[in-house]
Amino acid sequence: MDNNEKGVLRQLWDTFFSKAWPLWVGGILLAFLNVLLFLIRSPWGGTGTYMSWGENLYQKIGLFGLHDIMPVVLHPYGLLGTLTLLGAFAGALMGRDFAVRVPPFGEIVKGFIGGALMALGATLGIGCTIGGFLSGWAALSGGAIVLAIGFLIGTYVALKYLFWEMEKFPQFSMGKSFTWLAARGAAGVWQPILGVILTLVVLIAFSMKFSADNVMAMFAAIGLVIGIILQRSRFCIVRAFREPFMTGESEAPIAVMAALAIGILGFTVIKYMGVGSSTPGGARAVAMTWVYPNFWLKALIGGTIFGLGMTVAGGCAIGTIWRAGEGHVKLWFAALGFLLISPISKKFIVRAFSDMLPDWAKQKIFLPDHLGYWGALLLFFVLLVGWYAFVKWNEKTGKFSAI
Amino acid sequence: MDFNVDKTVDCKGLSCPMPILRLTKEIKALDSGQIIELLGTDPGSKKDIPGWCEKTGNELLGNEEDGSVFKFYIKKT
Repeated sequence: MDNNEKGVLRQLWDTFFSKAWPLWVGGILLAFLNVLLFLIRSPWGGTGTYMSWGENLYQKIGLFGLHDIMPVVLHPYGLLGTLTLLGAFAGALMGRDFAVRVPPFGEIVKGFIGGALMALGATLGIGCTIGGFLSGWAALSGGAIVLAIGFLIGTYVALKYLFWEMEKFPQFSMGKSFTWLAARGAAGVWQPILGVILTLVVLIAFSMKFSADNVMAMFAAIGLVIGIILQRSRFCIVRAFREPFMTGESEAPIAVMAALAIGILGFTVIKYMGVGSSTPGGARAVAMTWVYPNFWLKALIGGTIFGLGMTVAGGCAIGTIWRAGEGHVKLWFAALGFLLISPISKKFIVRAFSDMLPDWAKQKIFLPDHLGYWGALLLFFVLLVGWYAFVKWNEKTGKFSAI
Repeated sequence: MDFNVDKTVDCKGLSCPMPILRLTKEIKALDSGQIIELLGTDPGSKKDIPGWCEKTGNELLGNEEDGSVFKFYIKKT
């Protein structure tokens, strides 16, 4: 290898790992992979990962009488999220961003409570920011629109709380903090080396494990890539909902809009064509994928609780996973709260909550049934353009931003 | 750096959005022209803090990395 060639490869490496990617690049790539996941089996989601982790944990320690729980690596979303965590860890190492960052104690408490609220919101409202919202809008689900309104309300209220806490109890987020294993100067080269080794080992291990199961092999590979993309682009749905009310910046909302637009186009083609199905009944099942009986009050309540949780934690279901992989201990505790509470909510709360709601509050609305495919697309187009106009106007005028 | 720091804000260990919230609160107590030093460990701060300065009109005098700690120097305008 001569020096010129070395230089070119180094440039290629730096393109991916020397600094954060633009957020919208992350949005576009993630939406593309989400469409692939739908084509392979079913769309991207985050909540199922925590449920899988939590149920396996409780089964292991013998709590709540759980049995016959599918092991994490055999559960499609347990596998997807676990590989996303590993991918984010590998991405952070390759970008020399990894360090174990222990925040002051109050932040750890907020992480755990935020995670627990997200678990409650996701199980009650059916879906998180990924499965319920990013995939839900793409799936042309009516409930998914209401879920987003819930996220917006929850985020706004929680942001008000954070400002209040900062004014009244600033010491809550102050105190001893520790940082270990950061990449320091030339000696920090161990991080990218370990990141590459980890990526290769994980890819080889899971391709061998699932040599007879193409679907799970693809879920594993895509999960790993999703983790790397999330960490390198710092893709964050909390920011998309929060920033208009905080700094006013529009970059994060626009990245999410890009992901939504591509997801909507891809999913619509799959649903309209009934891709993967050869019978009329099968085509209907494809069309109804990721459309849940949560329109509208169910989604509004669940979404609001989830929005509170993700803003207090500082990461949604998937934002928590990639930040945990980057070494933020606050988000380790958010993940812990999420995985501990998800099975409890599913077993003891969800049924009672759902039974309490009248039928009009928990309808399964597939928008093309009511508006036609063109009408549903037009509705999402109007929502996206309206949202875009709002965030750009607000960025310029600062009308709704607190900073 | 050829300036004196008037206040240091320790955001080590904090993740998004706490450094921005802390900075917003602390800078209010300063007079125009005074300089704040923010210490952080969140890689997201490398982009967030300059973005905040641009948005709020405060001047980012410089930034440096000291081991695992990112340091930002901001002059209140």
